[in-house]
Amino acid sequence: MAKIEFQNIHKSFGTTKVIENLNLTLEDGKFNVLVGPSGCGKTTLLRIIAGIGPATSGRILLDGVDISNVPPGQRGVAMVFQSYAIYPMMTVRQNIEFGLKNNRVPKAERERRISEVSQIVGLEPYLGRKPSQLSGGQRQRVALARAMVKEPTVFLMDEPLSNLDAKLRAAMRSELVQLHKQLQTTFVYVTHDQVEAMAMGDCIILMDQGRIMQQSDPETMYRDPDNIFTAQFIGTPPTNILGLESESFKLGFRPEAISLSVNPAPDKAFTHRVSILTREMLGAETLYKLRLRNGQEVMARLTDSSLMVGDELYLQVDEENLYFFDSEGNRVRKTLSQQYGAMLERVTRSHES
Amino acid sequence: MVAPAMTFLAIFTFYPLANLVYLSFFRYNLISDKVFVGLTNYRNLLFVKKDFLQALENTVVYSFAVVFFTILLAILFALWLEKDSWFNRFIQKSMFTPYLIAMVSTAYIWSWIFDVNSGLLNAALALIDVSPLRWLNDSSLAIWCIVIVSVWKSLGYYLLIVLASLKSIPREIIEAAELDNTPWLRKFVRIILPMISPQIFFLLITITISSFRVFDSVQVMTNGGPGNATDVLVTYVHRYAFQMNMRVGYASAAGSVLLFILMVLTIFYFRFLGRKVHYQ
Repeated sequence: MAKIEFQNIHKSFGTTKVIENLNLTLEDGKFNVLVGPSGCGKTTLLRIIAGIGPATSGRILLDGVDISNVPPGQRGVAMVFQSYAIYPMMTVRQNIEFGLKNNRVPKAERERRISEVSQIVGLEPYLGRKPSQLSGGQRQRVALARAMVKEPTVFLMDEPLSNLDAKLRAAMRSELVQLHKQLQTTFVYVTHDQVEAMAMGDCIILMDQGRIMQQSDPETMYRDPDNIFTAQFIGTPPTNILGLESESFKLGFRPEAISLSVNPAPDKAFTHRVSILTREMLGAETLYKLRLRNGQEVMARLTDSSLMVGDELYLQVDEENLYFFDSEGNRVRKTLSQQYGAMLERVTRSHES
Repeated sequence: MVAPAMTFLAIFTFYPLANLVYLSFFRYNLISDKVFVGLTNYRNLLFVKKDFLQALENTVVYSFAVVFFTILLAILFALWLEKDSWFNRFIQKSMFTPYLIAMVSTAYIWSWIFDVNSGLLNAALALIDVSPLRWLNDSSLAIWCIVIVSVWKSLGYYLLIVLASLKSIPREIIEAAELDNTPWLRKFVRIILPMISPQIFFLLITITISSFRVFDSVQVMTNGGPGNATDVLVTYVHRYAFQMNMRVGYASAAGSVLLFILMVLTIFYFRFLGRKVHYQ
């Protein structure tokens, strides 16, 4: 159980600044997911918590205690690496036991913990094997068991599922969520996959270029993005962003918020004439690429698969599904801003002209 | 397809090898006819003359000293130089340079350094008021002087191999060990050493073989002296084959013993140490 605080963290590699003045609090007991495109600094943050890639400056607090100068092995954290990093020369049992021996855990206690943990992750039949005799999924479990057996206050995971095949990945995803429920400790999980982040996290921290773009629960992240980056990173296909002629703001709406009809409905906030460019039938849903009159293209995601390439229709979006962004890409919210009404009015009028 | 290669092997490897063993059963001086003497050469070598056993002992001492110190120092220096920096790269390259110098030149340079009257080492000792040592002229020191030269000369090369293998250890494994709160020595013994064991094993075999065949440094620096104090197997073979009445048969017997020892050692290494090597 632990709350993690980053205070004024800076990190640079040589002359390259990766993170500048970052402040962040990860709540106790939550499944925190750090997500973002590669190079955004998410793994760097994880390594700062672990102590294996210390920050250039700034403090890191664990339950209010400054651990910036505590060696990795004494922080009470455990980490699962992307490459698993299990010791290839040791058996599964030795791998799990190694950290306990280093920490002088008595033998009886070691035995108890090993059997308990190997039962949870289903490694009991393989304790005597070398890692080279295990499958990718089993190695992943060894890495997990090695972390669990230490009974850490914080679990760190650096893209632990990225080396597994799609089916196993989906299975492990829900197993990890269950594990978190069972252990009730703080998880910090790094991934570049927004689907994984949405599916697993209690709290998502979306990063880009060393900055935190938004920190919230998955639902909020999806429904109420703070900026264009968040709106486009979360959800597939990404949120459509339209630059409007002679306007400084931008308009956004999700592909799944679009409805298409032959005749324009009067009650929709945004209506625009479009033609269908491409059609991708995915089964339950169909993706359409649409071209607006002014040449801009948007994606629509509909359950209706009956529309065909070349069809001329009306694109329509309800007001609650429209997002407005200022010229910097930050969200202009209805509740907070007086600009909102003016923006909405101009968008509603624009298609009539 | 393999015929040309096999022909070369037959002419340049198998034939000389067989001929070596064959000649060891004869009395032969390159000019007169071969006279079959059975195991007489071996009996003289091992039970009659004392100088062969002395040479064998010197070779064993020399080889184990060179193997031990080369590998130990190569590992220690590699651990030190592992971190990539301007200074470390400079040191590493400097340490490699002796390897580029011919052994004969190296031996001459060190003969001068070890010189009793005008050598660098005794001059250094004089500075700190220590009475001069006789180095290569001292029968108990001479072999160690040659060990020092051999280690100095080849350390840079072996260091390079150990360094490369150290750097090939996945960084995450070392980090995982740190997160497992592993003390330094335990990390070295349980993680690092097993991970570089294939390269160490390779060094063990190649350094052993090359040490048992040491010749040029001994020939130039001491010529086996003082007395027989630095006489090794190959200088022994060379002396009997080409200097002392061309006793080729007798020298062949000595050469065969060297060959036999190397084969036994190599088999021993593979049988007993090969198991401990961790291949990825």
